[in-house]
Amino acid sequence: MSFVKNARLLASRGSRLAMSRAYSDEMKLTFAAANKTFYDSTVVRQIDVPSFSGAFGILAKHVPTLAVLKPGVVQVYDNEGKVSKFFVSSGSVTVNEDSSVQVLAEEAHNVEDIDVNEARQLLSKYQSQLSSAADEKGKAEAAIAVEVAEALVKAAE
Amino acid sequence: MTNAWRAVGITYIQYSNIAARVLREALRTELRADAAKRNDSHVKFTPWANGKPAPRQTQSES
Repeated sequence: MSFVKNARLLASRGSRLAMSRAYSDEMKLTFAAANKTFYDSTVVRQIDVPSFSGAFGILAKHVPTLAVLKPGVVQVYDNEGKVSKFFVSSGSVTVNEDSSVQVLAEEAHNVEDIDVNEARQLLSKYQSQLSSAADEKGKAEAAIAVEVAEALVKAAE
Repeated sequence: MTNAWRAVGITYIQYSNIAARVLREALRTELRADAAKRNDSHVKFTPWANGKPAPRQTQSES
């Protein structure tokens, strides 16, 4: 008897939980890197992320998604329409059914914190490293660095 | 997804490490020194023998 009652209670609680986690008109963003937390469950309007499956924008009610971040600029539009730009090295982005979004990066910084001259120097440094690399692995590593440096120059200009 | 780096056995974690290092190198001078500390990782561990801790060891990797 009490088992039935408990089961019913659990079922009703479960459905209520499901309802509260249902599609939401608000999108809560958590954006963190090893160096800093930028947003912690903050309501924002839109997020643009660079990923290996292409760059895409996220609005509330976006279909649940998992993607791997590519080095590039994450743009966050807050509810006033103000745009903030961050450079992410790599990481992951998760879009959940309840419209919450997690962007987790290994390293992320405000685009303004990038030194464009330094980025240009790094680009030519890694380009010469790429052409002088002796083995396939060294070549691949230099190619990654070149790719990141190119994205950095593009973001900082 | 066919990446040149994946073909030579580099994992996404290694890719991520390189990408993060290059980003740190491109920061403004005042931020760079502090960021460079994150290039290395350290693990401290203490082996135990007969219920007593042995001297602590440190493993560092860049």
